[in-house]
Amino acid sequence: MPTVEMVTKVWIAPGCIVCDACETTCPEVFHVQHENETCIIRPEALDVEFTKPLTKTIIEAAQECPVDVIKYEVAKFDVSDEVAAKIAGGATAAPAPATAGEAPAAAAHAATSTKAAPAKPAEPPKPKVMDPAIQALLAATTVRGGHVVIDRGVAGMPDSVKHLAKLSPDQLPPDGKFQRVLEKAKPSSEEPTRRDLLLGAGWTALAMGFGVGPLLAFNRFMAPNVLEQEDPKVRCGPLSKYTSLAPGDVNEDFKPVKPSGFWIIREEERISALSIICTHLGCIPSWLPNDRKFKCPCHGSGFKPNGTNFEGPAPRPLERFKIYLDGDQVIVDRSKKFLAMGPNDTAVWNDPDASIPV
Amino acid sequence: MMTTFAHILASVDPAQQGSAIDRIKSFVDALCAPYYFVPLTTLLLVIALVSYKQWTRPKAALLVFVAFTVFYGASMLDEDFFKIIKKPDNVPITMMIYFTGFCTWLGFRQAAVNDDRMKRGEPLIESGADDKVLVWPDLVYTELIALVLCTAFLVVWAILLKAPLEPPANPTNIPNPSKAPWYFLGLQELLVYFDPWIAGVLLPGLIIVGLIALPYIDKNPRGNGYYTLKERPLVISVFMFGFVIMWCVLIVLGTFLRGPNWNLFGPYETWDPHRPAALLNINVSDVFWVVLPEKLNVAWWKPGLPSEASFGIPAFLVREAPGIVLLGGYFFALPVFLAKTVFRKIYTQIGLIRYAVFWLLLSWMFIVPIKMVLRWLFNMKYFVAITEWFLNV
Repeated sequence: MPTVEMVTKVWIAPGCIVCDACETTCPEVFHVQHENETCIIRPEALDVEFTKPLTKTIIEAAQECPVDVIKYEVAKFDVSDEVAAKIAGGATAAPAPATAGEAPAAAAHAATSTKAAPAKPAEPPKPKVMDPAIQALLAATTVRGGHVVIDRGVAGMPDSVKHLAKLSPDQLPPDGKFQRVLEKAKPSSEEPTRRDLLLGAGWTALAMGFGVGPLLAFNRFMAPNVLEQEDPKVRCGPLSKYTSLAPGDVNEDFKPVKPSGFWIIREEERISALSIICTHLGCIPSWLPNDRKFKCPCHGSGFKPNGTNFEGPAPRPLERFKIYLDGDQVIVDRSKKFLAMGPNDTAVWNDPDASIPV
Repeated sequence: MMTTFAHILASVDPAQQGSAIDRIKSFVDALCAPYYFVPLTTLLLVIALVSYKQWTRPKAALLVFVAFTVFYGASMLDEDFFKIIKKPDNVPITMMIYFTGFCTWLGFRQAAVNDDRMKRGEPLIESGADDKVLVWPDLVYTELIALVLCTAFLVVWAILLKAPLEPPANPTNIPNPSKAPWYFLGLQELLVYFDPWIAGVLLPGLIIVGLIALPYIDKNPRGNGYYTLKERPLVISVFMFGFVIMWCVLIVLGTFLRGPNWNLFGPYETWDPHRPAALLNINVSDVFWVVLPEKLNVAWWKPGLPSEASFGIPAFLVREAPGIVLLGGYFFALPVFLAKTVFRKIYTQIGLIRYAVFWLLLSWMFIVPIKMVLRWLFNMKYFVAITEWFLNV
C-alpha cells in the first residue's frame, strides 16, 4: 500500500487581506466573508476526513495566498492504490481537463482549479451568507488562551453545531478568526434590552447626582449671598434734609440699606445718590470727613466727594443711582445706574434723572 | 548710595528725634517706604546671589540668622510692630520669613559646595547617593512620626491662637484695612497696581501656566538632580527674583507695611486711619498731553487731552497713543531688540516659538515691578486707560 501525505488540519494565521484567491481555488474549505472583512475555514473542513481528499487544492491555495497566511499540517497515511492514484492523478490532471472524467469527485476538484472545465453538478455550493450553524456556534463560543472553545451549552442547537461542539479545542483553528467574527457579528445583531435601559437610567441618575447637582450648588454658591429686595426704590425723607448739607458734604444714612446702599451727596447745584460699591473690586469705601474723600480699605482707591476716582486703582468714578422728587420726598431708585467711564468722562451725570437740582 | 542715605536721614523729622532708639526706628521706617524697601530687598538678593559662596558658610549663615533674630526680637519691643506680629493671622508670616530664609540657605549652600567640587574635579554631593529607603519600616515610621508631630503642632497652635468666626458682613463696619489671608497678600498688593482682570486673573494664571511651561521652554539638562548656581546663573536668578521678591517680599509688604485705607506705614508707625496721604493719580496720557507741553512751553504743542477724533481714529485711541506705543514697544519691539543683542545666544538655542513664550512670561513678570516703581515715584496709574473696553494696563 502506498503512503501519501495528506492535510489533516488547515487554518488561517493573522494577516489575511480578504482577497478571494483561496476561495476561488478551494471553495470547499475557505470562505471569504467580505461583510466581516475576514476569511474563515468552513466548519466542515475542521474534520480530518474532509480535508484529506482536498490535500492537493488546499496546498495549492496556500501557495497562491499573496500574504502566505494559510497554514496546514500534513500526516502520512497508508492508502489504497486507487485513492493514491486519484490524489496523484488530481495533481497531474489539473492542467488537463480530459482526465476529469475519471471520477466525479476528482473531476470536481479539477474543475475548481481550472475554470475552463464545464460546471459539474458535484461542485459544492458557495454560500454567500454566514451559515446559521456557524452563527449559533459563534454565539456559543468564547476564546480562552487563544483557542475558540464552546462556552455555553449547545442543547437545542442544530446538529451541525453539536457536532462542532464535540470537537476538542485543539481541533478548532487556532487563528483567532472566530474571535474576530464573534466581535463583529455580536453587537450588530443585538437589540437593546431592558437591562440596557435600566443601566442607562442608572448611569444617567448617577451623572445627574454627581454632575448636575454640584453644578446647581456651585451656581448658588457663586450667586451673591443677599436677599433681593423687591422694591429698588428707597424713600429718603424730605428734600430739606439734604439742601441743608454744605456743598461737598455726604449723608451716610442709607449706607446700610440692602441690597445696595448709597450715599446722598450735595454738590454745588444738585444732590445725587452714589453707590457704595467700589468700582475696582467691589469693596465698600469709607467716607473720611477730615480728608474729604472716600477711601477703600481693600486696595486704597480714593474718590472725591462727588465720587470721582483720583487715587488708587479704581478705574471709574463711583456709580450714581436714579434720584427724583415725589412731592417733597426724595426717592432713590436703584434699578437705574449712571456709569461714568472716567474722571474726565462724567457727562452722564448731567442726565435729569441722575440728580435733583437745588 | 550715599545720597540715598543722606536723603533718608534728611527725611527723619528732627522734632521726633527723642532717643537713639527712636532715631533708629525712624530710619527703619523710612527704609521701609516701598521705593526703598523693594529695591533694597532686590539688592540684598543680588548680593546673596553674587556672594553665595561666602554667606552660605555655616558660621556666616548662623551669624545672619542670629542678627536677624535679634533685630526681629528687638522689634517686638515696639508696640505697633508687636501688634502686627501677634495677630494670629500674621503668625505664619514669621514662619514664612524663617522658612524661606532657611530653604534659600540650604539650596545655595549645596550649590556652593557642588560648584566648589566641580571646580576641583571632585564628585558632587548627589553622585552615588542612594536615596532609596525601605517602605517598611523606614518610610512608614518616618511618615508616622511626621504625622504625629504635625498633628500635635497644629492642635497646640489651634488652642493657643484664636481664629474666631466673626459676625456677618456689615457695610457700615468694614475692617480697615481689609486684608486677604496672608498667603494672598502678594496678589492683593498686585491689585493696587493693576485692574482686577490682570492682577486677579491674568497674572496668577500666567504664574501657574508659566511654571507648567518652564520645562518645555528650558530644556537645558544642567542642574537636573543636583544643586548648582554656576551652571545656571540666569534662570536661578530670575526664579529667585520672581519667588522671593515678587511673592514673599510682597507678602511681607502687605502684612507689615499696609495699614488703614491701604496706606503705607513704616513697621514701627502707629496705624492712624486719619493720616493724610496724597496720591493724585496720573496716566501716561496726562504726562504726554498735559505735563510735558506745560513743561516745554512751546507754541506748537498746546497742553490738553485730545477730545476729538482725528484722521478717523477715535479720540480715546489718540489720547492713549503714547501708552500704546510704550506698551507695544515693551511687549513686541524690545524682545526683537534683545534677541539680536543680549539674548542672542538664548534665541538661537531655543528658537522663535519658545523665545516668544519665554518673553511673554518674562515681560509680564517684569512689568509688575516696573509699574510698582512708577506708581510709588510718580503716582503713575495707567499706561493705557481705555475704560470703555475694560482695557486698562
